[in-house]
Parts: sequence; C-alpha cells; structure tokens
Amino acid sequence: MIGMFSAPLLVLALGVAATAEGPPRVTSESTEYCASLTARLAGMPAARREPSRSLAAEGTRLCGSGHPQAGIAKLRRAVKAAKAEAP
Amino acid sequence: MPDNTPLLRVPPPLTARRRAEPGKLAPPRLLKSAGFRFAVLFAAMFASAAIALVAVLWWATAGALDRQTDVAIRADAVALSERWREAGQNAVAESIEERLAVDVGNEAIYLLMDASGSLRLAGNIDRWPPEAAERAWFRTVVRHDGFEVEARLHRVDLPGLRLLVGRDETEREMLRRLLTEGVIWASGAVILFALLGAWLLRSVLQARLRPAFRTAAAIGGGDLGSRVALSGREDEFDRLAQTMNAMLDHIGTLMVGVRGVSDAIAHDLRTPIARARAKLEDAVGAARDEAALRAAIEEGIADLDNISRIFRALLRIAEAEAGARRAAFAPFDLVPVLRDAAELYEASAEAREQRLEVDLPQQLAMVGDRDLVLQAVANLLDNAIKFTPPGGSVRLAARQTASGLVIAVSDDGPGLSPADRAQAGERFFRADKARATPGSGLGLSLVVAVAHLHGGDLLLDDARAGEAMPGLRAELRFPLP
Repeated sequence: MIGMFSAPLLVLALGVAATAEGPPRVTSESTEYCASLTARLAGMPAARREPSRSLAAEGTRLCGSGHPQAGIAKLRRAVKAAKAEAP
Repeated sequence: MPDNTPLLRVPPPLTARRRAEPGKLAPPRLLKSAGFRFAVLFAAMFASAAIALVAVLWWATAGALDRQTDVAIRADAVALSERWREAGQNAVAESIEERLAVDVGNEAIYLLMDASGSLRLAGNIDRWPPEAAERAWFRTVVRHDGFEVEARLHRVDLPGLRLLVGRDETEREMLRRLLTEGVIWASGAVILFALLGAWLLRSVLQARLRPAFRTAAAIGGGDLGSRVALSGREDEFDRLAQTMNAMLDHIGTLMVGVRGVSDAIAHDLRTPIARARAKLEDAVGAARDEAALRAAIEEGIADLDNISRIFRALLRIAEAEAGARRAAFAPFDLVPVLRDAAELYEASAEAREQRLEVDLPQQLAMVGDRDLVLQAVANLLDNAIKFTPPGGSVRLAARQTASGLVIAVSDDGPGLSPADRAQAGERFFRADKARATPGSGLGLSLVVAVAHLHGGDLLLDDARAGEAMPGLRAELRFPLP
C-alpha cells in the first residue's frame, strides 16, 4: 500500500523542494565570476593594451570593494575590447 | 345633477406649464433623450478607437521587442548547434563561456548540461527549470542581480546534451509596466474626453433644435406669424427650419384664403339675404290677399334656393382646393361625361337660338373625379351660353395631346380682356361687362380649383383674335395619368 503512494509522494517532495529553493539563479554576478573573467583576461595578450588594461583594472577594483555587478560589467567590456584588438 | 367628470381629461401639469410659459419646454428625461444616446454612441466609438490604438501600440512596441528577443535567441541557438556539430561538446561549452564574457548588456542566459541533467557543463544559471521539460520555448522567473525577473528561454535538443539559450526580459517588463501605467492614465483621459464630447454633442444638438422647438411652441401658443430662425450654415437643421417655415407660410396663405372666403361670403351674400328678408317683410305688411302672400312666399323660397346654391358651390370649391377628393380619384372615360354636359345645355342653347357644336374623339381615358370634371365643364358651357348673343354658336371640343388632355369651350361673346382674364379665376369676380347678367361669379373659380386638383390648369384666350367680338376660348388642361 505504501509502495503505491511512494512514487507520487517522491514527486511531490521533489516539487516542494524545488519551490522551497526558489527560481533558477543567475550565477554570472558573483565575485567568483569576477575571478573567472580576470583569469580569462590574463590569457589574452591584447588585454595588456589600452583600453582593455584600464577597464580590467577598474573592474578588478570594483569587484574587490564589494560591487561585483559593476566590476563584472567593466571586466566584460575589457574582454570585448581585447577581442576587438586581437589580430 | 349631471355627472361632472369631464369627458376629456387633460393632465394638469402640462396645461399649467403651457399656460405659464408658452416658450419653454422641459428637456426630455435623460435616458429617452436622443441627444444622450448620440452622446453614448460617440463615447463608445471614442473608447473603441482608443482601445484599438493601444492594442496596435502594444503590438508595435512590446510585440516588436518580443519578436526581436526570439530572433536573437534563435540565432544564438543555431550558432551553438553548429559549433557542436563542428567540434563537439567541449567546443560548445567554451563558446558559451566566451559569449558570457563579452555580454556587456548582462542579458544572456545559457545552460549546458549532460543528458541526465545531473552534470552542469557551462552556462550562468544554477539549475534546469522544470518548464523546459514541457515546452521548447517558454518564459520563467529567474533570480538576477537580487531581483526576480522574467526570462525567455529556448531548449535546444542535442544528442547527449541539454542546452538552454535565453535572454533576460527585464527591459520588456519595464516597457510593459510603462505601457500599462500609460494605458491607465490614458483611459482616464479617454473617459474624460468621452464624457466631455458626449456632453458637448448633446448641448449642440439641443441648441440647434431649440429654434424649431421655440417656434412650434410659439405657434401652439397662438403667434401664427412665428418662424424658425436659420443659423445660416445651410446644414440639415437649416433645411428642417426652411421646410417648417415653408409649411407655415403655406398654412398662413390657406388661412388668409379661408378668411377671405368668409369675408367674401359675408359681403356678397349679405345683400341677397337682406333682399329676400325685406321682400318677405313687405309681403307680411302689404299683401292684400292670400294669393299675394302665397306668391311672396314662393319668391322667398326661390331666393333662398339661390342662396343655398351659392353656398353649395362655395363648398365644392373649398373641397376641391383642399384636395380631399383626390383620394377618390378613379379612371373613367371623359367622352361620355362631355356628351352628358353638352346634353344638359343643349336645351338652353336652343332656347337662345344658339348652336352647340360638339367635336369629340371616340374615347379619352382619364383618372380623376368624374363629378367635379362634369361640374367644371358645365360651368364653362353655362358661361359660354350666357355671354354668347342669340344666333351665335358655342363649341365644345376635346383632344389628347403629347402632354395630356385638353377640353376647349369657345363662344361668340365679347370675350375677356387680358386684365380681366387674370382675375377671372377669383371667387366672386365679375367683369364689368358681366354685371348685367345673372351669376354669382363662382363658376370659373370652381373650374380653376378642379383643374388644380387634377394637377392641371385653366387657360383663357380670345377665340378669334383681332375681331370686334373675339369671344372667349377656355381651355381646361389635364396632365397624363
């Protein structure tokens, strides 16, 4: 009898668990992502030239001072600039 | 005691109002008011137009954004699928990370997982949304920058992989909120304008109709000279006013005519009535014996018969002019009617040694009042015979022309001068030359009235122009039925 109810109960439990966790979360807005972007920039030679260099420096500073979203935006711009510069 | 309940009960408020303010009428109750209904119609159309406008605006803006987003997602998905086909799973993962690294707008959402959904390979959301299992394209809520926002996502099916490509729809949400707020404010404005327009429309309608109301009320109150004022715009309301004024003018003319007839009757019959009375009074005083008295009474009866004949003629004219007998029009053959009229007067013509010539076709079809036409022709023959000297001739002819029927009566008499001809159709008119002959002067006015009743006319002319005694030619014309 319990076996009959076990499958639907499991689904219910999973469902409850899922809603309890909330909606999917975007992960590209944390300091970990800052680090990931900085690592990527390190591997790009064009990143040492302007404007990429100063953008990256600004971005790293913002990430370090508790503004990860602003920092990530700057770092992304740095990557974009470096890509544009790359031969 | 007789019952005091009036047979016709007039509601007191109406009469009281009419007596108090003849020029003022209370506006009709709101729901029955045509002005109100026009206003409601206007408001409804205005609101519908506004709603249509908003719908188009929404489709053009938010709709366009949606379409744009879907296009971008699809392009992305296609590119990533291509990458997988070229270089496999790892290449796709690297592509995703590269795309995220340059996503300055912070809108892109990716998720690459293995087929079982347990291993996260690349992307920027932390788990597979449950809706992805049901549909390939869907919207769901994600946590982005601390807020819960809507995202548009597309599931791409690759062998051995699960790929999700999407965009953050914060901008869309903002636009939708802006549009919604705008629509709410605009709705308020629409309602205001609709009400204003409706009230304006109703006022204008009432204002344009007020002159007609006022005039009608004035006439109802007894001022028959009142006419509807024109606005000068020559629009539908002015046409209504002009039509009403023309009607009132016609009614005025008819009433003047009626008054004229009453005056003429009073004037012209006063004498014969007075004369008849005087003769009887004399007889009462001066009659010598019963035979003389009897003779006086018989003369009185003859006088009264004459007077009643005149009254009857006046009534027939009035009837003919009122057009009441038009309803009894019927088709008939004119020729037998004319032969009857000729027969009636053959004896009188013979008595005066006159010739009555008749020139008629086999048949003349006509639609009208048989009795009135007979009376009119009889009057013309009567006149002709009366004014033709002994030994002369009177001619009755009829024919069909292109435009209708013509009945012509011509005589050998003195005829009528052009000036007299113009007045001949008036009641009680008698030309100076005719003063000596008996008659009331009503004969031709009846002929004219009968002609007009049938949509035709009476034309008078010389029978033989240039001669000393030109004679009169009276033509009665009737249009085709």
